[in-house]
Amino acid sequence: MQKKSYEYISDQELLDKFKKDQDNLWLGILLQRYTLMLLGVCMKYLKDEEAAKDAVQQVFLKVISELQKYQVEYLKSWLYTIARNYCLMLLRNQTHVISITDELNYVEAPLSDFTPLDKELTLNLLELSMKELNAPQNTCVTLFYLEKKSYQDIVKTTGFTLLQVKSYIQNGKRNLKLLVAQKMRQG
Amino acid sequence: MSELKNILNQGPQPTEDALKRYLKGTSSEEERFTIENQMADEAFMNDAIEGLQEFKDQNHVQDYVNKINKELNKHTFKKKRRKLNNLIEDKNWTLVTVVLIIILCILGYFVINLTMQQKFHGTIEQQKK
Repeated sequence: MQKKSYEYISDQELLDKFKKDQDNLWLGILLQRYTLMLLGVCMKYLKDEEAAKDAVQQVFLKVISELQKYQVEYLKSWLYTIARNYCLMLLRNQTHVISITDELNYVEAPLSDFTPLDKELTLNLLELSMKELNAPQNTCVTLFYLEKKSYQDIVKTTGFTLLQVKSYIQNGKRNLKLLVAQKMRQG
Repeated sequence: MSELKNILNQGPQPTEDALKRYLKGTSSEEERFTIENQMADEAFMNDAIEGLQEFKDQNHVQDYVNKINKELNKHTFKKKRRKLNNLIEDKNWTLVTVVLIIILCILGYFVINLTMQQKFHGTIEQQKK
């Protein structure tokens, strides 16, 4: 019931309320929104269900104490960084071999940064830039964004592995952004 | 051409229920695209989904979430309640203090008034004598 009543308050509003009132109630509501995702992140690194659960609890305790000390603007990214670093620290302490798929490069700044006035132009430039992507990236970006195929469908259609598909989509999108920005600068 | 806008749009943040449906393979095409689009954009979403897919039984995921949230509530709602109780206690004490001061003022007024009257009657009687 409580979850429902706070559903329409944004993360930023809850964070502002917490900063203003210094009441952990707001923080509790906010953090519960990310329990599932953080559990997933911890599970990815720790590969153990109980350890992942304990790690999320520790991350929450850390967040409760640290958030009062620091000015945090992007809570979601901050939570992810804390969870990831906590898991990596645990793995280092256990002297486990870390096998993290670092080959994936993620797009940090969304392409939606372009202003609405630029959108028409951006779409034209995007269409041109698509042709400049390498073949695997072009195929995966087309299948994913234009034909709205799922990752699994793309794996079946192309014969690439799931990891490759994700990587081609992420890198393809990043490259498109760079190409469009370059064309815009050139006028 | 119009589908190119999908590359520009990051899409809305998927809800927790949408994530669960995706993990169970029961999400709609639109929901599936929204989540995978987020996965392509955010390392957080990508890692979260990959990790959640590693749970042996997806039905247990909710049990873990409930346990974590229950523990979290101990650290958040309890403090709130304590703070609220402290506030109520503080307010009660303020009220008691105000009432006591008022009672003391009224008593003081009557005592002073009575003393003044006695003194006044005493002087009149002395004058009469």
